[in-house]
Amino acid sequence: MGPIKIEPAKAFEEVLTTQRKLAAALQTLREVDDVDFGVTDKEAVYREDKLVVYRFKGERPPTAKVPILIVYALVNRPYMVDLQDDRSLVKNLLAQGEDVYLIDWGYPDRADRWLTLDDYINGYIARSVDAVADRAGVDKINLLGICQGGAFSLCFAAMHPEKVRNLITMVTPVDFHTPENMLSNWTRQLDVDLFVDTLGNVPADLMNLCYLMLKPVRLNQQKYIGLVDILDDKAEMENFLRMEKWIFDSPDQAGEAFRQFIKDFYQGNKLVKGGLEIGGHEVHLGNITMPVLNVFAEQDHLVPPSASRVLGEHVGTEDYTQIAFRGGHIGIYVSGRAQREVPSAIHDWLAQRSR
Amino acid sequence: MGQSPNPDWMNQWQDLSRNYLNAWQTMSRNPAPMPGAAAPWHEGFEQWSRLFTSGGGAQNETIDRVIDSAKGYAAFMQSLLGAAGGGTGMPPWNELLRSGFGIPGVDAATFEHPMLRALRDMQGQAGQGFGNGFAQAFGALNSLRAVPPMPSADFGDLKAWLSLPAFGLMREHQEHYQKTAVAWVEYQEQMGRYNALMLKASQRGFELFEGKLSEREQPGRQIESLRALYDLWVDAAEEGYAEIALSQDFREVYAALVNAQMRVRAQIQQEVERVAVDLGMPTRSEIDSIGERLQALRREVRQRGAETAGKGLAREVASLRSELAALKASIGKETRSAPERAAETKPRPQPKPKIEPRIESKAEPKAKVVAIEPTPARAAAKHGKPRKAKRKGSAKRAVAATSTFASRIAKFADASLGAGRPHALRKDKKKQAKADKAKKKR
Repeated sequence: MGPIKIEPAKAFEEVLTTQRKLAAALQTLREVDDVDFGVTDKEAVYREDKLVVYRFKGERPPTAKVPILIVYALVNRPYMVDLQDDRSLVKNLLAQGEDVYLIDWGYPDRADRWLTLDDYINGYIARSVDAVADRAGVDKINLLGICQGGAFSLCFAAMHPEKVRNLITMVTPVDFHTPENMLSNWTRQLDVDLFVDTLGNVPADLMNLCYLMLKPVRLNQQKYIGLVDILDDKAEMENFLRMEKWIFDSPDQAGEAFRQFIKDFYQGNKLVKGGLEIGGHEVHLGNITMPVLNVFAEQDHLVPPSASRVLGEHVGTEDYTQIAFRGGHIGIYVSGRAQREVPSAIHDWLAQRSR
Repeated sequence: MGQSPNPDWMNQWQDLSRNYLNAWQTMSRNPAPMPGAAAPWHEGFEQWSRLFTSGGGAQNETIDRVIDSAKGYAAFMQSLLGAAGGGTGMPPWNELLRSGFGIPGVDAATFEHPMLRALRDMQGQAGQGFGNGFAQAFGALNSLRAVPPMPSADFGDLKAWLSLPAFGLMREHQEHYQKTAVAWVEYQEQMGRYNALMLKASQRGFELFEGKLSEREQPGRQIESLRALYDLWVDAAEEGYAEIALSQDFREVYAALVNAQMRVRAQIQQEVERVAVDLGMPTRSEIDSIGERLQALRREVRQRGAETAGKGLAREVASLRSELAALKASIGKETRSAPERAAETKPRPQPKPKIEPRIESKAEPKAKVVAIEPTPARAAAKHGKPRKAKRKGSAKRAVAATSTFASRIAKFADASLGAGRPHALRKDKKKQAKADKAKKKR
């Protein structure tokens, strides 16, 4: 007996049904208004150039004395952590009593072409941390770095350990040369000087298509065919559209910072091999002596778990915890299980260290 | 109809369905395979495109992406049904698959390969009309774009021809054009290598697809819908692609392709700059140069600001140093015996023992600390009273935060040093001016 048992008449019916559903899905899409994201109320507490630091407002005042500052990646917009009412890391952290701040990097333009990693880490992040600490009346704050923002947070914590009470990294690449890292494979022999000198800032579309090419058929085709399954569910359709908006709402990358990130992290793997210098300061992960919580996703196609889980071998702290989340790079923020597991894990871990 | 704000798409859909049904019945009477391009399935999606792309609305981009994907899926279903021949009995699916009847991705040469297509999109979107930009910038070289794919040996001949020396007044321009044309040919060359790897990925995907199918032969695990078959193919295609995309070959070819495209872009940019200069317009290089200087200036201003603050900080350094001395004294107390510690009036949070060696190794401020004049805070520390905390609760954290003081002191010391230099220079200048004045008088 063969593996395929599809009767022609049934196949024909399936084709017609699929086409009808897709047509209906398209019609629904036409009727859906633009979707909103970023549901939690917030206030701007610090501004500099295009950067804004927001403080989120919970339904009741925070009980935590030490605030959390979320440092998101430069390559996507940070509202992924507060996408919608029932999918919000921020909202869930607030509900646990945490005091949550976030750096919104904005959209760099040609005026930002010459921003370096030093400007971002020892400049923007350092001043944002100071602003949050001053506002909260503390010397040190908790830093929560996500993806590339996690790598930045590691650098910051290594250079300024006196400013970080606890460090949390989520889906953060540490070892950039593990064999499953497709992005790393693609960039290893790239002439990044020629690339940046030619493009100036790296266009967001180019970055997006690069990410889509990590799984070309699944992300360019199969995902949209899957719309037929959620056609009748307006809420699900809006969820889909929010994700779609987020995926394609990407900032350009400041050329100099991109050049240095590719050279030192992706090509040189200096975060673990050593020799990384940012603004004349040596970045040595051994200087990270504060407690560290490392959360990574087991099915992450952008930052493979092998790239994250080595962090414990390199930091200087003896208080290191890691959590392997069953999900993907985005699922760690938006899946139903993530809502239940991730914020409470972060809160519990912090609470144990605030006694 | 497509222009109407409220197209009666359902009626149109029913018309299309009737057409499909007729086509199916015709096909059932004729055992010959359905011809690919003229098949109604694909045409159906084409008609949808016309129906849905001109209506406006917030989700236009998403609609375009759905339509593009639907076309690919339609091609998949069409190829399966077409190969099945339209009979009423169970088609020999396994034989059809194994003979490679043209599922998209199985044979990139004959069908629309999604990976090749994505790459082309990348050129078009991320490259911002890269090919078109090239065509506009170099109309004279347009014919090169029409050159059909050729073996790499032919690329070599073309490059040799384009490397002939130029003569005369416009020699430099001609050389630039030739160099650009060579860059374009090299880009095409690299594109050919990339496409060859994509084809390899596609073939590997089919091998994996066969393997996955063979795992489904037991009753209960068989595939009973086109969608399930499609999903299985996607799994296999992605696995095949991942194997190639993670290979050393791909690393080299991908980098070569991107580098080649950047060289072409750079050549075009140079030409655009030349034209801009001729027209008296600001060029990108000039703007970039201004931006670079501005950024450097901003860093300098911040640095100066920090140095100015450093003058005030010099005083704070002194007080921090005394604070450090007080902390050291308190650490000394804590290392005393238990009865001695118990004699303390108020229990204090203990630092983690592992932090202490770090403090010692990183701070090393001893020589500096003893050189500092006593300050009120330090004097207070001498009497065993810690300096009043700057912020609420900082005394509680003081011991654990000793590394803070160490690094801050180092920073402040640097800053105060930097701040002192210009001052010293100014003093020297004043002295010199005074001496010169005296000399003149004499």
